[in-house]
Amino acid sequence: MNKDMKILVVDDFSTMRRIIKNLLRDLGMTNVQEADDGQTALPILKQGGIDFLVTDWNMPGMTGIELLKEVRSDPKLAPMPVLMVTAEAKKEQIIAAAQAGVNGYVVKPFTAAVLKEKIDKIFERLG
Amino acid sequence: MISGTGKGMGHFEVELQLKAQELVSVLNEGKLSDAMEIIQELHEFRHQTFFSEVGHLTRGLHEAIKSFSTELGSSLEIDDGSPAQEDADAADRLNYVIEMTEKNAHDTMDRVDKALSLVDKLDSQSERFKDLLSLVGQLEKEHDSLNGVYDRTCAVKEESEQTIGILREELTDIVVSQSYQDITGQLIRRVINLVTNVETHLVGLMEMAAQVERLSGVEILSDTDDQQTNKKNPIQAEGPQINKESADVVSNQDEVDDLLSSLGF
Repeated sequence: MNKDMKILVVDDFSTMRRIIKNLLRDLGMTNVQEADDGQTALPILKQGGIDFLVTDWNMPGMTGIELLKEVRSDPKLAPMPVLMVTAEAKKEQIIAAAQAGVNGYVVKPFTAAVLKEKIDKIFERLG
Repeated sequence: MISGTGKGMGHFEVELQLKAQELVSVLNEGKLSDAMEIIQELHEFRHQTFFSEVGHLTRGLHEAIKSFSTELGSSLEIDDGSPAQEDADAADRLNYVIEMTEKNAHDTMDRVDKALSLVDKLDSQSERFKDLLSLVGQLEKEHDSLNGVYDRTCAVKEESEQTIGILREELTDIVVSQSYQDITGQLIRRVINLVTNVETHLVGLMEMAAQVERLSGVEILSDTDDQQTNKKNPIQAEGPQINKESADVVSNQDEVDDLLSSLGF
């Protein structure tokens, strides 16, 4: 896993963005950008340079699942690993996220260990 | 807080009995047209009672929500000096809760960040301590009285490093536990939506009740059901699930992992 990779953290709650940022910092990843919903995240992604997307689901404007679908339907962005960190806990939702091509799914509230494990797993698989 | 419903229905029953007796007596006298008139009156009376009851309930509910907002307004004297507005509605008050918890979560994390930088300082001090210790190790060979000091000091240093490690983990857990702000905030937002919806519908209902009163006797009970709100998108974002016993909801990360691995993840 490249520690210098650029990560975009998308969540409408600044508290959660900060928590995720802190945990990423503990993992040695300090190149983190933030957005507060899908609508502000998408232009940042389209600009290029982001290597990894961590997004919430329930957000005003554009939700995380919509953002995920946008990413997968854009040929340039499609290969990007996406981790969903969300309070959405219905089986139907998790299945929908999997079908939309999510790389990992963490339910809130989560622990530092779980977030680390899921991130490690995503990059292990990508090689 | 919703009152005055019993009186209307009681009044209706009394009137119904009076009219029924009247109906029997005019029928006994063979006055059929009078009887039809009484039946018509009863019919209209029933409608009026019904509409005035609905109006009553609606107004009662509206008052209850209004007084809830006012009570919240006066009990939440904001401590940062900004005045608690009298006319602030329930939604504003609940938004205030989100803002306060957000501010407090950030304050906590600011302090944790400071504490973590102190932990970093301890770490670097520990490095310098190591240099000093190696000096003691060399001196120990030359002075018998220092015998064993190096080993004992090393043990203390190791213990202190472990403590620093645990401290770092605890501080990280404090940061992670601030996620309560997100979870509760999402739930409060749902309540805000609910209150706003109820209020909007109430206003509609009150307008309808007023209109019915004006055109008393005219039925204008159009179908106001919003069909779209009934058809729910199954994967629509809902925020945190309260009822984790429900079969279509996962209750922890393990269940998420199981579900995903069953899908080939």
